[in-house]
Amino acid sequence: MRYPRHDFRVAIALLVAGRLGAGQEPDPTEARHRVARLRMVEEQIAARDVADTATLRAMRAVPRHRFVPADDRGIAYGDHPLPIGFGQTISQPYIVAYMTEVIGPRRGLKVLEVGTGSGYQAAVLAEIGCDVYTIEIFEALATSARERLRALGYFARVRHGDGHFGWPDAAPFDAILVTAAAGHVSPALVDQLRPGGRLVIPVGNVYGAQNLILVEKGSGGAVRTRVLLPVRFVPLLSGLR
Amino acid sequence: MAIGVAMLGFGASGTALALLGAEARARAGRRFPLVAALAAAALVASPALAHLVPLDPTQLAWDGRQWARLGLVYLCFALPFALAALGILLALMLEPERPGLVYGASFVGGGMGASAALAALWLLPPGRALAIPALLGALGAVAAAPDAWAAVALGIVGLALARPPWRLTVTPYKGLPQVEAYPDARRVGERSSPVGWVVAVGAPAFRYAPGLSLDYRGAFPQQTALFVDGELAGAAPDPARGGLEMLEWLPTALPYALGDRERVLVLGAGGGLEVASAVAHRAHRVTAVELSPELVRLARELSPGVLGDARVVWIAGDARGFVARTHDTFDLITLAPGAAFGTAAGMHALSEDFLHTVEAYEAYLGRLSPRGVLAVTRWLVVPPRASVRAVLSAAAALRRVRPEAVRDGLVVARSWGTVTVLAKPAGFHVAEVRALRAWASIRGVDLDWYPGLARPEPGFHRLDDSALSRATAAALAGPEAAARFAAAFPFAVAPATDARPYPHHFVRLGSLAGWLRESRGTWLPFAEWGPIALVATLVQSGLLAGLLLLAPIAARRGAGLHSARVVAYFGAIGFAYLAAELATIQQLGLLLGHPVYAVAVALAAFLACSGAGSMWSDRLTAARGWTVGAGLAGLLAAAAVGLLPLVHVLEAAPLIWRGAAAVLAIGPLAFGMGAMFPVGLRTLAADDAGRIAWAWAANGVASVVAAPLAALVALEAGSPALLVLGGLGYGAAATLAHVPTRAS
Repeated sequence: MRYPRHDFRVAIALLVAGRLGAGQEPDPTEARHRVARLRMVEEQIAARDVADTATLRAMRAVPRHRFVPADDRGIAYGDHPLPIGFGQTISQPYIVAYMTEVIGPRRGLKVLEVGTGSGYQAAVLAEIGCDVYTIEIFEALATSARERLRALGYFARVRHGDGHFGWPDAAPFDAILVTAAAGHVSPALVDQLRPGGRLVIPVGNVYGAQNLILVEKGSGGAVRTRVLLPVRFVPLLSGLR
Repeated sequence: MAIGVAMLGFGASGTALALLGAEARARAGRRFPLVAALAAAALVASPALAHLVPLDPTQLAWDGRQWARLGLVYLCFALPFALAALGILLALMLEPERPGLVYGASFVGGGMGASAALAALWLLPPGRALAIPALLGALGAVAAAPDAWAAVALGIVGLALARPPWRLTVTPYKGLPQVEAYPDARRVGERSSPVGWVVAVGAPAFRYAPGLSLDYRGAFPQQTALFVDGELAGAAPDPARGGLEMLEWLPTALPYALGDRERVLVLGAGGGLEVASAVAHRAHRVTAVELSPELVRLARELSPGVLGDARVVWIAGDARGFVARTHDTFDLITLAPGAAFGTAAGMHALSEDFLHTVEAYEAYLGRLSPRGVLAVTRWLVVPPRASVRAVLSAAAALRRVRPEAVRDGLVVARSWGTVTVLAKPAGFHVAEVRALRAWASIRGVDLDWYPGLARPEPGFHRLDDSALSRATAAALAGPEAAARFAAAFPFAVAPATDARPYPHHFVRLGSLAGWLRESRGTWLPFAEWGPIALVATLVQSGLLAGLLLLAPIAARRGAGLHSARVVAYFGAIGFAYLAAELATIQQLGLLLGHPVYAVAVALAAFLACSGAGSMWSDRLTAARGWTVGAGLAGLLAAAAVGLLPLVHVLEAAPLIWRGAAAVLAIGPLAFGMGAMFPVGLRTLAADDAGRIAWAWAANGVASVVAAPLAALVALEAGSPALLVLGGLGYGAAATLAHVPTRAS
């Protein structure tokens, strides 16, 4: 019986939200979003067996509605991706949580994200306390994500550049998260992974259904992979000179 | 869905007219020229209006606003069809004594229109070609009555032709706009033909290396992205910029580990990556078959050094047809993942593809030299489906050629993202297996099966799902075990056949409901939307059909049994026509060998012969109408049994014979099918003109339902079953026509 437990948690969260709001400027819209967010974490993420506490805490904290187009704020916490322009999307909340959990997030973990998009994944990692480097090929998206992250108080290094070549001057990384799909794994990314590190990348047919692949680099540098769950992402944009 | 929208217009026009009073109907009849002019104008206005609707179909599943927009788009596109249908209906009512002539003329016009559309797409850019049907409509209006309305319509169409008011934009989710948005991207070539709109984009950011080994550390070649109708169709490498050593690290290079492949056949050559690979692997002669001539031309221009090499022979055409007719043999026949362009022409929502059927694999095996190998590479999509089907299909084809070859001639290799199946009818030698294992181990590729494998080996890539190994084990155990495995698998993975050529369809409709219930939305990413959309369309069509038929029934209370018979007769022939047409054209498409031209030619022949049949029907006494229906039922039953085997026998014949055979097959069938409607109409004309409208509505509405239903039957049961259903439809119509005649 999972639902009563979740409803209970949501009710507590509502109470807490109400309490927090009591001493501050009341903002009914923000409160509504917060309720939706807590419900999202319970029903879409915890219910699907994402158990990492740091991930769940971050997903409860980051205001996803600030990362979607103004028109779509009302459906920001739905169980689906949303368009953010340029044919790109902000991933389904569950996928963001799942990918975050897979890399074993913790404070100080040095993470490279390829495909900043709206900046939501970077914000979740920053909320956990990771040392975040993120690259975006579309300049407009990179700029808006940088400003958005700064405005919301998240520290992440955002670069407009080429994900295919990684971030050589900051390498190696403990983990690399690729949040856009590719038909291949870039050699540079495998190279910039620290031995013992994990790389998560959606791969497969670039424009069709994709799988999430976990690439693990052994302490000796040997590379092994594991197919995680099926997923649909926007294509990896690579090769900016 | 497109046919459904068109037929919706037909049904709606009939219902609207049936609801009018007799006097209003008579007045409407005189408005025939105006309706013809409006139909032409609507052909210009509809796409322009539909374009204004900000529809994002990817958001349909969760954004309620999108449904209203989809409805608007439907309405926009149904409008010209409704007006055109109203025009034909009015013409039928103006000439109640000669329905065959009027209806036949509309058929013949349809056939000519199909040819004109094809010609227009050759001669004009797609945006302008869209104005051609409107131009024909406007000329029709002028012919009907050279009045002011016709002049206005002609003026509108003329303006549209001079300056098309619509822009053909590509959805931002397709590959083309995304790659064009890369930094420094530029369009370096563009061509269009009825086969598709081909665009080449040069972008330093673009790289295409499907399934590249994780151990590759070299450079990437500079590649030009090639798109057909906005979707990525391949990548032409530029060898002058280096990086061709990458080709040795792609999973499709596995068969070259067997030693030199002197004669290589690349099927679905696309942008030429596999062709370049064959050249790089020292093939003496590479035959590259690609459906789109524009793609071939662009790829050769962009990469003259490799793709224009004297060793490369390009064949612009259908791969199945080429294999059926060639006398050459090959040391390697290769099909790369996603290279099957046959699915991109957009003729069918759920693409039929004759390249990956078990008959196709058997044909490929038949063109191999004694040392030859067939290599099929598919994406490893999880849960595994396409890869499982490739293993089962290759094993089934090997078994047909030489039963022992399943055990000694099959290799299954898996990279992190792809599965490559090698099939060698002569069987692999020990030394060959050793070479394959060495190649795989250097590139981090796992061999799930090779002759002599004692037990599964620890690999580089962990796959929690053991479906692939279980499928291979079942295929090795024998055809019954393979069939049992496929039947028990949660997805439909049994080999596709020419009778049911849907190798990219894996969802069992029966398991859909279960998925929707249980997995809390995680099924969303990997469910195939095609069949789901088809079922949704069928439900929508059913509701609309009910509405459009119930409206006149409610309005004409007391019409009684005779009316029910009218609805049943015209409904049955509406369904049967679409079913028979779809199945026949699918099977003859394989015979004629080109998914676009074959369909266009078959469709034009179908419509023209139906037109002739319709005109001939005026000479037939209405009481003898049932004989045509009975004949059609017999013909379709014979076609269900004999047409596909005939296609297989004739596949290797010269085009002239195949064309003649197709016309002979279509001719009598379409002739009879065209007669059924006007013959039925003449039995009504005498007593009630309003009932003509009703019959028209029933026919149109039946077609609205028939379009998705026939597609679903083809998908789930195959084209022979669809022919049988068509035959049953005509049998039912014959019975309905026969009984009242005897009673009277």
